[in-house]
Amino acid sequence: MMTLFYVALGTLFGFILSRSGAADYNYIQGMFLFEEFQLYGIIGTAVALTAPGIWLLKRYGKTLTGKPLVVERKAGHRGNVYGGILFGVGWSITGMCPGPVLVNVGEGKLYALAALAGVLAGAALFGCSYRVLTRPFRLPPLAVGTGEG
Amino acid sequence: MPLILNGLEPIPWWLAGAGIAFVTLALLWVSSNRLGVSTGFENVCSLVVRAPYFGRDAIRGSNGWRLPLLGGLVLGGFLSAVLGGGWEPTWALGMFDTAIGWGPAGKVAWMFVGGLLIGFGTRLAGGCTSGHGIFGLSNLELPSLVSTVSFMAAGAVTTNLIYRVIV
Repeated sequence: MMTLFYVALGTLFGFILSRSGAADYNYIQGMFLFEEFQLYGIIGTAVALTAPGIWLLKRYGKTLTGKPLVVERKAGHRGNVYGGILFGVGWSITGMCPGPVLVNVGEGKLYALAALAGVLAGAALFGCSYRVLTRPFRLPPLAVGTGEG
Repeated sequence: MPLILNGLEPIPWWLAGAGIAFVTLALLWVSSNRLGVSTGFENVCSLVVRAPYFGRDAIRGSNGWRLPLLGGLVLGGFLSAVLGGGWEPTWALGMFDTAIGWGPAGKVAWMFVGGLLIGFGTRLAGGCTSGHGIFGLSNLELPSLVSTVSFMAAGAVTTNLIYRVIV
């Protein structure tokens, strides 16, 4: 039952990303060239509406089924900057961030399969080198991780 | 500007933003989960890679919601194509085709390298556009602001280098 809910939510999310330009190579380049407002409008509206929503839900403190609603904050570390930079370069190269990689695969964009293979290889490489990266990037202990998202 | 997908006109930005806010808040209200996509790639890795990092509780305990969410994203893209002019495999890549013009082999290499940077980078940063940019910023978290500024700046520099300097 819950699995179906997550699939449905992902499907709605994917449909919106697909139809709004958020998963479109031209719109992403237009955003980074400061020529297209669309993506700034999408992210800005999403944050402007989600922020008060999160605040209210945290104040209410309970989920739909009455369980405690907890929002764990992410740890800060050097990876926020260096990882962010690497991701930004990748986002520009592919025209896709993580959600849209999957959306483009679904749309039938064949090159998105290569992007997905790269993303999974990159995540695997990161996970396997966590111990080596911990000290230079001041990362939290392995059990905690860099932050889920 | 029409989308690459079947030349469709995009939905308005405010509607897309409101829809994403709905998805984020529904996930939080129903199951107390932070929206985020990039950790889901670690969940996928954990199915095949036997490293201690992929065996940690945050991964094992979230397979149940992250994997269906990722599957839904693929399904959403598929339905979007089916309902919007038809699903058809394509190599079309918009302004990349007009300005750079590489064929399938070049695109595969280009996309794989970009994908590596996305996978490694988002996990090092602890989040992506959804986890840091939408949820983290909305929850007023400083690390998310730092990451969002970093990836937006790096993306802007890269695209401007590619389309205003090199090509």
